[in-house]
Amino acid sequence: MVLFEHLSSALTDSQAQVVARYLLGNVPGLPPIVQTLHIVGISAVMASIVMVDLRFLGVAVPSQNVSEMIDRLIPWTWWALPLNAVTGCLFIAARPSRYFDNPVFGIKFSLLVPAVALAVVVYQLNRKETGYWERTLPRRISGRVIAMCSLLLWIGVVLAGRWIAYWDYLFY
Amino acid sequence: MLFTDFWERLQSHPTSQYIGYSWWFPFIESLHVVAITLVVGSIMMVDLRLLGMTGLRYPASRITRELIPWTWGAFCVAVVTGIGMFVTRAPVYMENPAFQVKLVLLLLACANMTLFQFRTFRDVASWDSAAVTPIAARTAGAASLLLWAGILLAGRWTGHII
Repeated sequence: MVLFEHLSSALTDSQAQVVARYLLGNVPGLPPIVQTLHIVGISAVMASIVMVDLRFLGVAVPSQNVSEMIDRLIPWTWWALPLNAVTGCLFIAARPSRYFDNPVFGIKFSLLVPAVALAVVVYQLNRKETGYWERTLPRRISGRVIAMCSLLLWIGVVLAGRWIAYWDYLFY
Repeated sequence: MLFTDFWERLQSHPTSQYIGYSWWFPFIESLHVVAITLVVGSIMMVDLRLLGMTGLRYPASRITRELIPWTWGAFCVAVVTGIGMFVTRAPVYMENPAFQVKLVLLLLACANMTLFQFRTFRDVASWDSAAVTPIAARTAGAASLLLWAGILLAGRWTGHII
């Protein structure tokens, strides 16, 4: 991907790379601490979008109201995403080619973009019209389809995220 | 170390060897991550309710009843996948300080949950919909949040020491 190549060459030997490498190499315990924050961010997504998806599919928290859940829980993701962007970028800045030349990283982002887009659609339509996803049968059905896609996409994002580290190990 | 022979034999078992030297290890590890994020995500929702910070329009007992089964289900997946990774280098993990800390924190989280379930939660009816939850419930919620954050950190740190 051209964008990845540009980002990779912009970061390689940049000041950002020097700083990121210095921090990760010299602050005791910084890599696992930053990775843990990244995992906390993913946990917030699980408690937010994934819980709403499970509610849409009728398997979790049956007593909670769908519309109210969307309004209350999805904003947690708007906080988690910047946290994960910052923590993720630290590692990317330190070793850009490890990520941008890695097909698994590309897969992760091609799953992440539609996953976030679906969350935005679910959230915004519900904001514009409270109870949007429950009002008519076609909406309830599309809500379920979206929830299933969103659930699979987020699980895929997490799996791919972990597999980034194994790309070299498995295929070289 | 306790049971040194046992950990050695566990590690040299053909199944452990197979996991350790194939795509099974990363596969199991990635499932472990999905499971723990669901554990932490669901328990966090309960903890924040106990702290009186979120979901106040629902009774604490209902939030607990509807979410804790998800925590347990995901926790079982995390334990099975965790054991799957552990057996590949059992003696090494047993001597890994981060892993030891993680086990201690897991025991503390378990104790916290048991104490809450059998002491604080017994009279839930009296504070179920109260805006301010009792100090014991808030303590349990805060302890749980801190313990699970510590478990994540110790778990992640384990991989850096191996």
